[in-house]
Amino acid sequence: MSRLWSLAAIEVFVWLGLLLSTFLVSKVAFTIEFGFTTIVERIATQIVRAVVAGVIVFVWLFAWKKLTNLYFWRAIGRRKASA
Amino acid sequence: MLDSAQLTGIAFFASIAFVTTLISTPIIAKMMRRRGITGKDVHKISKIEIPEMCGLAILLGLTLGSLAYVVAVPSSGNAITAFLATVLIAGAIGFFDDLRPLSARVKPLLTAFAALPIIFLHAYSPYPTIPLLGTVRLTIVYPFLILIAIAVTSNSVNMMDVMNGSMPGTVSITSATITVVLLISGEMQIAAISAGVLAASLAFFYYNRFPAKVFSGDTGSLAVGAALGAIAILGKVETVMVVALIPQIMNAFYGLSSVGRLYERREIQQRPTRLLSDGTLEASDEKHAPVTLARLILAAGPATEGGVVRSMMILTAVSSTLAFLTYWIGVGIKP
Repeated sequence: MSRLWSLAAIEVFVWLGLLLSTFLVSKVAFTIEFGFTTIVERIATQIVRAVVAGVIVFVWLFAWKKLTNLYFWRAIGRRKASA
Repeated sequence: MLDSAQLTGIAFFASIAFVTTLISTPIIAKMMRRRGITGKDVHKISKIEIPEMCGLAILLGLTLGSLAYVVAVPSSGNAITAFLATVLIAGAIGFFDDLRPLSARVKPLLTAFAALPIIFLHAYSPYPTIPLLGTVRLTIVYPFLILIAIAVTSNSVNMMDVMNGSMPGTVSITSATITVVLLISGEMQIAAISAGVLAASLAFFYYNRFPAKVFSGDTGSLAVGAALGAIAILGKVETVMVVALIPQIMNAFYGLSSVGRLYERREIQQRPTRLLSDGTLEASDEKHAPVTLARLILAAGPATEGGVVRSMMILTAVSSTLAFLTYWIGVGIKP
């Protein structure tokens, strides 16, 4: 049972990250406005929004993967040390 | 409030799905064994042969349950048709994959097409509720998201089918959670479908639990995963389903990110876990082996196969609790 606490904590981290990143994508990335008027400038605004949204999601996935790797290799290290 | 007619409809669907799956699983298992369609139980020292493709029983249970329900509640026709067609297409893809394995790239692509009945029958609402944001309008993007959703749910449930009882055990908890959420939100017809998936999974779990007497094969796991995806879309509980499926998504994400590409289990040389001489399992310490959920659970030390599956079910219970919280945040009701 004790081995599950860390994994349950990662689950909560993933859940919080999901809520936070959808909030940030919607309230920060998709509200970026430069006041441009031409079609090309508006397309550029859309591209910037998509890139910022992508960065937010990437940061979340990267943090998730790093956290998991940290837990996994530490646990394996501890197991090897005690063997 | 729930009225007795609605509850009877839900109980009717669930009972037929349960009884059909319970009765047909051993019959299909006998048939598969006679035809030599068996697979090695790799997590046992004896490596016994177990009948494969018995997930056909789940398909049969869901089909008969759906047909009976649509006769009893004719207004559910559109939703039931979209659900059943999606599940049968995913099941058919799984069936062919079991007989002649598909490549790791083709399978997700094909399972995305299982979503087409939902799109063509327009059995969806492009206004999903997202926690902290409320209802958002996604009229153009939503049909594409449906294709992705069915591919993701079917393949992530399939990737969780690695140990005795792991797929039906975790799916039972997820579908029970979603059934309750759908009942609370008043989506009675979709709650009946979800109760049917719960009932069929529980009946199948009886035979697939440790030590397994049957394997579901991709026939069952792809169909059940597609069923969960379809329920999320038809019942407008997309975000709640994503949260409830966190263990399956974690398992798929870790596997894909550690291998660096889509892969099939049979392609992987370095296994994520290894069987010890006392019958317990241990996490592999090979650097290039996929980091799966089972490997993460075993990182702290060896455990029995039954113990690993129990851990997966506990993690699913945790994600189910988070799914309830997500629903409450989404609709603004305090727990």
